Amino acid sequence: MRVLVAMSGGVDSSVAAALLRDQGHDVVGATLKLWGGAGDSGCCSVADVEDARRVAQVLGIEHHVFAYTEEFRARVVEPYVRAHAEGRTPNPCIDCNRFVKFDLLAERARRLGFDALATGHYARIVTRHGATALGRGVDAAKDQSYVLAYLKSAMLDFLVLPIGEMRKSQVRARAAAAGLRTWDKPDSQDVCFIESASGRAGFLGGRLTMTPATVVDRDSGSVLGQVDAAELVTVGQRRHVPSPDGARRYVTRVDVAGRRVEVSPLAGALRTRVELVPGSLSAVGEPLGDGPVWVQVSAHARPQAGRLRLQGNGVVELAVPIRPVAPGQTVVFYHDDAPDIVAGAALVASP
Amino acid sequence: MSSAYLDYAASAPRRDDVYAAMEPWLHGVVGNPSGAHGESRRAARALEEARDEVAELVGSPPGAVVFTGGGTESCHLAIAGVTREAVRRTGRAHVVVSAIEHHAVLDSAYALAAQSETVRVAQSPVGADGVVDADVLAGLLEASTALVSVMTANNETGVVEPIAQLAARVHQESAAVFHTDAVAAAPWLDLRTATAGADLVSLCAHKLGGPVNSGALVLRRPVDLMAVSAGGGQERGRRGGTVDVAAAVGLAAALRVHDRERQQVTDRVRGLRDRLERAVAALPGCQVTAAGVERLAGTAHLTFASLAADELVFLLDQAGVCASAGAACSSGASAVSHVLVAMGMDPARAGGSVRLTLGFATTPAEVDQAVAALGGAVHRLRAG
Repeated sequence: MRVLVAMSGGVDSSVAAALLRDQGHDVVGATLKLWGGAGDSGCCSVADVEDARRVAQVLGIEHHVFAYTEEFRARVVEPYVRAHAEGRTPNPCIDCNRFVKFDLLAERARRLGFDALATGHYARIVTRHGATALGRGVDAAKDQSYVLAYLKSAMLDFLVLPIGEMRKSQVRARAAAAGLRTWDKPDSQDVCFIESASGRAGFLGGRLTMTPATVVDRDSGSVLGQVDAAELVTVGQRRHVPSPDGARRYVTRVDVAGRRVEVSPLAGALRTRVELVPGSLSAVGEPLGDGPVWVQVSAHARPQAGRLRLQGNGVVELAVPIRPVAPGQTVVFYHDDAPDIVAGAALVASP
Repeated sequence: MSSAYLDYAASAPRRDDVYAAMEPWLHGVVGNPSGAHGESRRAARALEEARDEVAELVGSPPGAVVFTGGGTESCHLAIAGVTREAVRRTGRAHVVVSAIEHHAVLDSAYALAAQSETVRVAQSPVGADGVVDADVLAGLLEASTALVSVMTANNETGVVEPIAQLAARVHQESAAVFHTDAVAAAPWLDLRTATAGADLVSLCAHKLGGPVNSGALVLRRPVDLMAVSAGGGQERGRRGGTVDVAAAVGLAAALRVHDRERQQVTDRVRGLRDRLERAVAALPGCQVTAAGVERLAGTAHLTFASLAADELVFLLDQAGVCASAGAACSSGASAVSHVLVAMGMDPARAGGSVRLTLGFATTPAEVDQAVAALGGAVHRLRAG
């Protein structure tokens, strides 16, 4: 089989390429050039391209570089900036997977005559009720099924995830044994287009005019203080919340236009309902209906038992209350009877 | 599968006759040209002969050549050397560059402006045909304009700029130094006429079949340049560091061979290039860039509406055809070219660009292979 492997220059995709080559496939590596600006934490610096190229050389496979800088800007970075301006907190990695890697790159791979696209994600391609589905990676600490949850069966049919059955330690050992220079490269932690030195504040500060806001206790209505930039406040956050009385409070609402941030002590912030953005529900295979599901509200959050209700705008009800989830984030649903298999995903609405 | 090498503008095949000329300076004892003994004198003589030959072939007085580590360094020496000298003398410098310059020029100029508020950069636009207009260029000149830089021919589109006319106009209306990056033009044009009037001319050897990391900045008239690398005082204090005799000899030899064969190579290659363009022009959505103006004989810059350059180049590569999406970049990725943007090209068209550059050793079979591969690629991508 002729396989295009998306090689980020990290250890996971390096090993994905090595495994496929060892299985006898006709493997071609491609690194995506996503961001032209500075960014030192992530996936598309010249150094990362060079690492990927060197790994391909060692493996004896062809390597190409595909530029998606325009598409990345339009479909990932600009929506990221726009969402913050509106008080939402998106997950750009999900958007990149959804709109660049498993949309544009997959289409390109098909056009260029490949039989499959492979990546180094910690997730597995599985079968459920006869259809292709997405399962969690074997390494629970590294599982990336959350960031791939919008992929549908038809895309999963074209996708190969060679390291989904492996643990991270096994992946590193495999890379070291194969003499790949990426074997001890640190995992990428943050958003790839944001420099760690200036951070999200520096990145957004150069692109948005920040809005000062008043921090108000949701229950008492009393003013607790000010923040310089409502755009940088995330629903659910506790750090940096002004607290004249020293009590811990969580952000429950950000109203950029109204220059107002509402906070509450934990008891008042916890909730058992997550409202969904109308029309944002995506099912991997057969359409999702009302019923019990496992709910995961961030990449590594503990899954919660819940129930999906699709009347009206759609809502998830949770058995156990959780801290508020920021609007713009994704909730991922796993099957009630198969908690390791993704059922679908949806965007969190503003409260 | 034999490969068709159509990426001369990225790097030309190394020529045997050039390397034969370099041969005595690649092995065994090669004296440091700055030394005080017989081997140094021997090396210094070869170096100075190369210097005079380069000057002559560019139509410049003997001796006025600074050897550099390539075209990028030559452009940087011109831009930074003139600009810093102007700042030293007058406290400020205004620099005018054309919008289609190579990044060697653009990045050098903008880096200076980023480092100091005393340096400002203005960009001269180009017409839809990629040509710089003398009136537009003159309109950007200021009292403090220290340097104007317009390339002799563009490395992506092959469009030839009217340097003699532009330089005359700039000199008539200002005291600015006129620099031209002739790296792309050198394999095709008679530099005596094509760069006439320019004060500084940048060259490199590997686009001519010589070694990489070998270039020169030719001074047509005395120009004060602040050194960009100090130490040692070589090259009259403008570029410190031991001079590579073989590299200098290689550049001179490459220019000499080119000067001797220019007419015959140009005529033959233009025929092949025109044949290639005629054959692919019929492909759906294909357009030849700047077809209506004077272009380098070896450049075929094509755009395919709504196709992606990366995909075209990938499929050409699979068919053994070495081409590029535009200029070669460090990451190997293609971005929409600033040259095409400056020409006002629709981004959907500019995103589907392929540059095929032919040269002295290109064969009709290579052209046929490229035509077949391009046809196959376009049909495949249009079908999918």
